[in-house]
Amino acid sequence: MRDDTFYFDMRRIIITTLLLGYATIASAQTDSTEHSNVLIQEVTVHGDKLNEDNLEFKQKDNVQVLIDKMLYNINGVSLIKRGNYAQEPIIRGLNPSQINTTVDGMQIFGACTDHMDPISSYVEPNNLSSIRLQLGPNSEQVGASIGGGFDFKLNKAKLGADKFVSGTIGTGYEANASAFRVLGSIQLSKKRWAVRANSIYRKSQNYTDGNGREIHFSQYEKLNFGVSSVFALNENNFIYLDYLQDDGRDIGYPALTMDVSFANAKIGSISHVYKKTGKTLYLLESKIYANYIDHAMDDSKRPDSLIAMRMDMPGTSSTFGFYSNASLRFGKKHFVKFKLNGYSNDLHAEMTMYPLIGAEMFMLTLPDTRRTVGGIDLSDKILITEKLKLSTGIRFDYVLSSITTEMGRQTLSGIYSGDLDKNHYLLNVFTQLNYKLNKKLSVSGGVAKAMRAPNAQELYAFYLFNRFDNYDYLGNPDIKQEESWNFNISANYRLKKLVLTTKVFAYYFKNYITGAKLPSSEYSAMTIGASGVKQYVNLDNAIIAGAEVGFKWKINKNFFFSSMNAFSYGEDYKHRALFMIPPLKSINTIVYSMKGYNFSLKYTTAMAQNNIDYDFYGENSTREFNLFDLSAGKTFKVKRFKYDVNIALDNIFNVPYYEHLDVMKINRQGRNLLVSLKFTF
Amino acid sequence: MKKIIVGVLMSALVFTSCNKDDDETVVTTPGTPAPTQVEIATATTSNNETVTLYADESQLSTGYENMYVTVKDASGNAIEDATVEFAPLMDMGTMQHACPFVNPTFDNTINKYKGYVVYTMSSMGGTWTLGVSVNGNLATFTLNIADSPTKVVGNYTGTDGVTYIVSLLRPVTWNVGMNDVEFLLHTKASMMSFPAVTDFTMVMTPWMTSMNHGSPNNIDPVHVGNGHYNGEVNFTMTGDWRLHLQLNQNGTEIHSDAFLDILF
Ligand SMILES: [Cu+2]
Ligand SMILES: [Cu+2]
Repeated sequence: MRDDTFYFDMRRIIITTLLLGYATIASAQTDSTEHSNVLIQEVTVHGDKLNEDNLEFKQKDNVQVLIDKMLYNINGVSLIKRGNYAQEPIIRGLNPSQINTTVDGMQIFGACTDHMDPISSYVEPNNLSSIRLQLGPNSEQVGASIGGGFDFKLNKAKLGADKFVSGTIGTGYEANASAFRVLGSIQLSKKRWAVRANSIYRKSQNYTDGNGREIHFSQYEKLNFGVSSVFALNENNFIYLDYLQDDGRDIGYPALTMDVSFANAKIGSISHVYKKTGKTLYLLESKIYANYIDHAMDDSKRPDSLIAMRMDMPGTSSTFGFYSNASLRFGKKHFVKFKLNGYSNDLHAEMTMYPLIGAEMFMLTLPDTRRTVGGIDLSDKILITEKLKLSTGIRFDYVLSSITTEMGRQTLSGIYSGDLDKNHYLLNVFTQLNYKLNKKLSVSGGVAKAMRAPNAQELYAFYLFNRFDNYDYLGNPDIKQEESWNFNISANYRLKKLVLTTKVFAYYFKNYITGAKLPSSEYSAMTIGASGVKQYVNLDNAIIAGAEVGFKWKINKNFFFSSMNAFSYGEDYKHRALFMIPPLKSINTIVYSMKGYNFSLKYTTAMAQNNIDYDFYGENSTREFNLFDLSAGKTFKVKRFKYDVNIALDNIFNVPYYEHLDVMKINRQGRNLLVSLKFTF
Repeated sequence: MKKIIVGVLMSALVFTSCNKDDDETVVTTPGTPAPTQVEIATATTSNNETVTLYADESQLSTGYENMYVTVKDASGNAIEDATVEFAPLMDMGTMQHACPFVNPTFDNTINKYKGYVVYTMSSMGGTWTLGVSVNGNLATFTLNIADSPTKVVGNYTGTDGVTYIVSLLRPVTWNVGMNDVEFLLHTKASMMSFPAVTDFTMVMTPWMTSMNHGSPNNIDPVHVGNGHYNGEVNFTMTGDWRLHLQLNQNGTEIHSDAFLDILF
């Protein structure tokens, strides 16, 4: 299925926006060429309009869909699929280590060495107020990265709400995978304090593809809950306590050789917020946080005939950190942000193998790595004239990577004899200019110099198997940090009933980090059936370039049309096509609304990706696909209560298809009927 | 700004409080005496000296064993300057043979005479005795040699028709990663004479048979004196490992695959 409620939400977004007036979306999109914000729930926006250049979508009802489906509908975002759950979001074909994913500004790192648990898998739309997308170093960035990243903003309890008690209850069902979910949220709100709790339970069986074939090991089950509370100390000072827990159970990954018996995340924080409108220092936010992820990966559910050797591969990730962000304004036209942050992340991953004959075997695949990071960030936004806005910023990070246990050091002694402690110093700078030529046309352009430290896997992986290219990977403690020059130009053209946005971008990488084959005469793969061993290396340079075009048109009172188109191209210094680069993709939606009823038809297509390199990157080509989805919905208001009913038919023509970023190219879901109900009080 | 400083201080606390969580693994040089030696038996020489035999563990097993001896005179005073010699013997009924060994010398650090014996078979096949002579006066011990859990000593007949005995120095603690490894190489000159081989080169290939893979960055053992060959072996994981040794003399292959097995 593509989305169930999300269409309706798209529809609702659109309607709301139309009501709000057309200029809002348009101007919002013009300003935010380097970041955008997808609002999931209504939030109060503080600060200045100039500084909050991101009010893109406003909607409240897509809390039932998987976060993956929500991400899928953001232009320029693609998902690496390994199962029907926990797909890994990437931006513009940049790889996951080139972007920085955070939850409410908190650094969290997945515990799975097979990328089974991207950070997005630990949050639910029900927890979130918005998803903030950054496309490179900018004033909203949380840490050093090449290509920006995602910040999942947690939904906070709201002080002084209209009702002391309010909430929602919802449920949904999907016929294809017999997927069931039930969710709810409740908020208690007073003037001085408020508490909000939310929870969702999901259970899904195996899905069926467009050929009517059951995809085994595509099931999942999870229970997620979050509690957020706020206490007003006085009219300017607030304390927030947030806790989020996500317990995944029995999650299948048909593209991998292993599944998850459990994946548990505990994410907590205490924040202090100081706000005073009109003062120079008008916002100061500080947070201390900790999170822990426990991931149990095994192959106990797989039949003997598919398994060369049974194994367990558990892993853990724990992070402590803090940040403090100060927002200052000087007059009406000059804004400054000053940020300080630090964190420390420990990763441990191990593997125990059980041969039919012989002793069991044990190894550390991530040998107790620690990364301690401190960063300082200064950015500046100035309105030079009414029409010209200049944003600039500079950020410095220090990254210390090390191994915490003797066993970890001993493990790596077999592949590396130098000092395992590594220092990286990162400097990120950007400048961005926005210019409004006239009421219809505005343009924007920017340059950034970005750097990122190699991640724990790239430094210290120990025979980590990658299903994508079928190689075991070794880390490289001598690897250099990756750098890039980022360029972007965008234009925004709007008429009364039409908006056209075009963005063109290029990332020129230096010391691009990727895996290169090691000689098979010296290095034999650990994983049975693997093609060999690769080690992370720096390639001299590589490039990713592309464009996004968005089009929105209010045809008449009843009809609305939107089109999102994204394209990326990547190659390395030897003109080999980079891997996991999404082909040209287009999502087109037409919405018809009348008397509280809404109908939408969505057409999604991606071109074939034949620009691939098999020899070096081990990638195969992917054919095109065409997909049609239908949906309908209605909202009823009975007294003070609201009921939402949605029904959708995804993949109407039951087309068998997969996308280029799908590992092992396993077909996605075939035709799927979805229903959802929501009750708001 | 005050908030920022508080934030920094608090997180500094968080960081420092969770700093060291090392779990130490003990790395030993192969053949180094165990921290405490275990008494095996006591016997008396014809000259009334009391000879006590020690080993690294209470159960001796096939392969290389450090053997330790203390000697006391009739009045109970330790003798530390005697000439102590070993004479291991396997009596199989129909035939008798000895095995590779080195005579003990006094080691101040443990206050014992220390030598080694490479037991080439277990007591299943006959009776092992170890004669210990102190200045020519003999005391004899009957030993129970168990089979080692893995093959740590092997007889291999070379292309030159000579029998070679390869053994692995013990005790040794194996870890995942780089390990010092030490072999002894002896040749069988007669049933009673097993001189050390000092002019060979070795090519070592560790292999995990249950998974059919090897490991990189191993360092081939080289002769360091008295038939000892030192190298480094890289174990990428725990489990069953086979150490394949190609034995060469003056560039000529004498044996293509003399192997020993390790389990940890
Ligand atoms: Cu996993
Ligand atoms: Cu193995």
